[in-house]
This record gives sequence, structure tokens and C-alpha cells, in this order.
Amino acid sequence: MAPAVSILLLEIKMNNHIHSLEEGTGKHSNISGYLYVGPALAILGLTSIFPVIYSFVMSFFNWNWGLRVNFVGFQNYIRYFSDPIFWKVLGQTFYFTVGAVTIEFILGFGMALLVNRLNFGIGVFRTILLLPLMVSGIIVSLIWKVLLDPTLGIVNYLMSLVGLPRLVWFGSQSTAMPSIIMVDTWWQTAFVFIVLSAGLRSLPSEPFEAAEVDGANAFQKFRFLTLPMLRQVILTVLIFRTIDCLKVFAIIFGTTGGGPAQSTESIQTLAYRTAFKFLFLSRAMTLMVIFSMLILIISLLYIKFGERETF
Amino acid sequence: MLGFRIRRKITSLLSYILACVAVFLTLFPILWIFSISIKTQRDAFAIPPIIIFKPIWSNYTKIWQTAGFAQAFRNSAIVTMLGVLLALVVGIPAAYALNRLPFKGKKALTIWLLLSYMLPEFLFIIPIYILYQKIGLYDTQIGLAIVYQVFVLPFTIWLLRGFFADVPIELEDAARIDGCTRFQTLRRIYLPLTAPGIAATAILTSIWIWNELTIALALTFETSRTVTVAVAGFRGYASIDWGSMTAASIVSILPMFVFAALAQRYIVEGLTLGAVK
Repeated sequence: MAPAVSILLLEIKMNNHIHSLEEGTGKHSNISGYLYVGPALAILGLTSIFPVIYSFVMSFFNWNWGLRVNFVGFQNYIRYFSDPIFWKVLGQTFYFTVGAVTIEFILGFGMALLVNRLNFGIGVFRTILLLPLMVSGIIVSLIWKVLLDPTLGIVNYLMSLVGLPRLVWFGSQSTAMPSIIMVDTWWQTAFVFIVLSAGLRSLPSEPFEAAEVDGANAFQKFRFLTLPMLRQVILTVLIFRTIDCLKVFAIIFGTTGGGPAQSTESIQTLAYRTAFKFLFLSRAMTLMVIFSMLILIISLLYIKFGERETF
Repeated sequence: MLGFRIRRKITSLLSYILACVAVFLTLFPILWIFSISIKTQRDAFAIPPIIIFKPIWSNYTKIWQTAGFAQAFRNSAIVTMLGVLLALVVGIPAAYALNRLPFKGKKALTIWLLLSYMLPEFLFIIPIYILYQKIGLYDTQIGLAIVYQVFVLPFTIWLLRGFFADVPIELEDAARIDGCTRFQTLRRIYLPLTAPGIAATAILTSIWIWNELTIALALTFETSRTVTVAVAGFRGYASIDWGSMTAASIVSILPMFVFAALAQRYIVEGLTLGAVK
């Protein structure tokens, strides 16, 4: 998603401005400060702070739209942790995330390095390669459902032309998830590409010139100059892609709906069905509380890793 | 030396070929879908695919007449406008305060803005769904525009804060000495100076809202159904109606490509600024 592109900017700006933020705090509180942030606080209170607290509280109850609200303690949590479906779905969510992030990162980084070397036409390439990010996940799903249709799709036709076997793509348990990873790759590689492109362009040229004089080869320059200097940008890209992939919903909803036989169910599609198909509201909220904790832990691990000196 | 130059030429040529492959892989799916949207059903299903055909536009006229697609399109436009407006009206003063005004809890707010990004949609959706059912905001445009602030408002505040931080503080001090109130400095100094940034923010959030599916799916039913939810409706039983499905997809993509073209300079510029700093 396009706005996601600029999250990088936010993140980097945060690192720079966090100190200027601190100056303001603690000294003396100012009424006009609250006047300016008041409306924002009210909206955030309603849209995000209330739901987080509500979900957390309700995860200790059993409530499914009826009049009865029973306190059940940790029962909802225990239920999930002892449910093989939960672990299967969690495993699939990680399978998707690791697969998609790895492929997108390698491809996107490769494209960024490639386009960075071009002498002319960089702007045009960048503009075109950015386009998939502007397309809604649900439309991406529909596009690929048409392209990958087992009988009428163009991809199977092209594959049969070069003698490759026809695949059922979203239709079988073994190929469905790889197909969704492929769809996500088409959709989101541009995020990695555009952010790392900007990172590459911001690098100073002197170290590279010096390395050239010292006779360093391309790989050495990449390994000992580009990678270390891009470290923060790379980590930022990885954090945002990882979080986005863990939260995957639209492209699964749009392609397989979680099937066949739940083989592509992700945590968020499971939450959707639990809440809106089976109407187990408190159970779905429990699932989201568990999942949010997990996302936070993973983000913290990344940040912790980012504080280390080297890769 | 000559060999070196030739090698350079070859790698450069290879780079261009690879870049063109990437461009082809990016564009082909969209162009193919577009070609299906202007084919008759028979041509669309033909194997081997027909490359040369007489384009028809009936799929496009058809979707405007069927099953509330026009309504959904209108809903998306309204929700997008409401959402962006709300985010700017609330976000601009907040971003200003985060930059220039002291208040307790600033750091907590900053952290919360980032946290709310990380959290999964359904964590917010289910409680809001319950609340909206009770207070009558379920399936309303304004209700949807408000929920979107979960992600749009932190995004707007973060982005604007970056732009506002670039305004020299001396300008503000000068204005204050000349007797401007805080609000006047915000209006007369900050807003004009950061107008391009604000426009870029508005465009980027528009794209996000327009493309959003998860929240709209759960919080709208019929009257306020957005374009993504309507397009999703083509997926199940009607999936064999490729004409409508592809035409609807193209119609929903196009406004975003226009927006992206408008904001493109800022996307890249913004990123470079962020990365260089």
C-alpha cells in the first residue's frame, strides 16, 4: 500500500526527532498543548485505545451476542493454546510471512541495485515498478484469480506452451499457499524496491571511490559498504514487511478464502470467521489479543537486533 | 582498457534488459485484465487467447447499472473525503503541538501512534463493530471514516510532524514577536509553507482509504458498502463473469493511478528526505 511506503519516512524521522520531543516533556505542562492534541486524543481514544482495552477485558469472558456474559478467566486462552487448529493457522501465517518477506526482500533489493546502476530512464522505471502498490489487495486477488485460473487462465496456457505442467494454483493444498506468496510478491516487492532505492541514492559516494582505488571488487563493496550503511533502512523495510505479512487478510480472503481445507487460513482470516461467521466474539477478541502480543514481541526482537553493531 | 569499457557496456545492457523484464512482469497482469474487460465473454474464454479482437465497452456500462456498483463507488469517494478531512483537521494541530508545544505524555502519545500501526485490524474491528451496532454507526459513511482514523490519523500526524519540523523555528518566533497567536502562526506560517507536504499526505491517505478492504468488509453492509467490498462481491458465485469483474477492477484502480501520478514526486521526495536525514 502506498501510504506504507512513507512509513519509512516516519520511522526515520522518529529516530531523529525523538530527542527534540523529549525537550518538551516534563518541564512545564502547557494547557494550549492539550488544546491542540485534544481532538486527536479523543479520536484515538475511541478508535484504538477503547478497542484494545475492550478486547483485552472481553478475552476473559464468554460472550456471543447474547444476554449472558460469563467470566471464564483464562479459559479462552487455554482453549487456543490447546487447539491444534490455532497452531496450524499460526504456522501457516508464519509460513506465508517468512516466504513472502524473504522473496520480496531479495527481489526488491536486487531491483533497487539494478535500477540504481542505470544511466537514464530511472524515473520511468521507478514509476512503473511502483504501480502494484497502488492497487487494493482485493483487486490484486481478483487479477490473479483470472490469470491463474486452472482451465482458462493465461499463465497455465503459457506454461503449457513451454512444456511445463498445468497447475491448479489456488485449488490444491500444496500449491495454494505458494501461489498466495507469489501474488503478494507481485504486489509488495515494490515497497522493498522503492525504500531501498531511496536508501541507495542517499549513500555518500566517497567510500565507494576509495574502495575502488583500493581495488575492492563489486561483492566486497556490497558486503562491506552498501550493506552496513543501509542497515537501518533494511531493518525498517523488514519490520514493516513482516508486520504487514503477519496481518495478511485481503489477498487470502480474495483468492482462496482460507481454503482448500483451511490450508491457507491466516490468523486474521480465522479471526474474521470466528467473529463474523460463527459469532464467537469474545473468542475472536482473545485471538487478536494473543496475536497482537506476538506482533509486538517480533517487532521488539527486530529493534533489539537493530541495536547491535553489525549484521 | 578497451575490454573494461566493453564489459561496462554489456553489464549496462544486461541491467536494462532485466529492468525491462521487471517492468513487463509488473504491467502484464494489469494490461491483461484490461484486455479481458474489453472482450466479449467468448473472446475472454478463448484458448489459445485472442490477441487481436474488436474491443467492446459494454462491460463498463453494465457494471454501472448492476448491483450497487455506482453506489459503492460514490460511497468510497465520500468516505475517502471524510476520512482525509477528519485526519487533517485533527492531525494538523496535533502535529504542531508534538513539534512545538510542551505537554505531559508527549512520549506516550508518540509511542501509541507507532503501536497502533502494528496492531492487527480485527483487534479494533470487533469492539468497534459491537459499539457501532449499539449507537447506530454501523454501515454509515461517517462511521467508517472515523474508524479509519486508527491508521490514517497516526500516519497523518507522523508525516506532518516531519514536515512541520522543517519549518525554521525563527520564523515562528518572529511571528510571535509581531503579535501572532499560536493559532495564527500555525495558519499563516506553517500551513502555507508545508502545503505541498499536506497535499501529499492527503493523497497518500486517500489511496490507503480507497484501497482498504478489511475494515469496510466488517463495518458496512449495504448502504455504505465501499468499492473494495463491492469488487469482492464478484469473487464467489459470479466469478465466471470475468467481464464485470475485470471492468470493476480497472475502474477502481484508475483513480488511484491518477492519485499516484499526482503524489509520485512526493513519495520519492519524501522517502529521500527521510533516508538522507
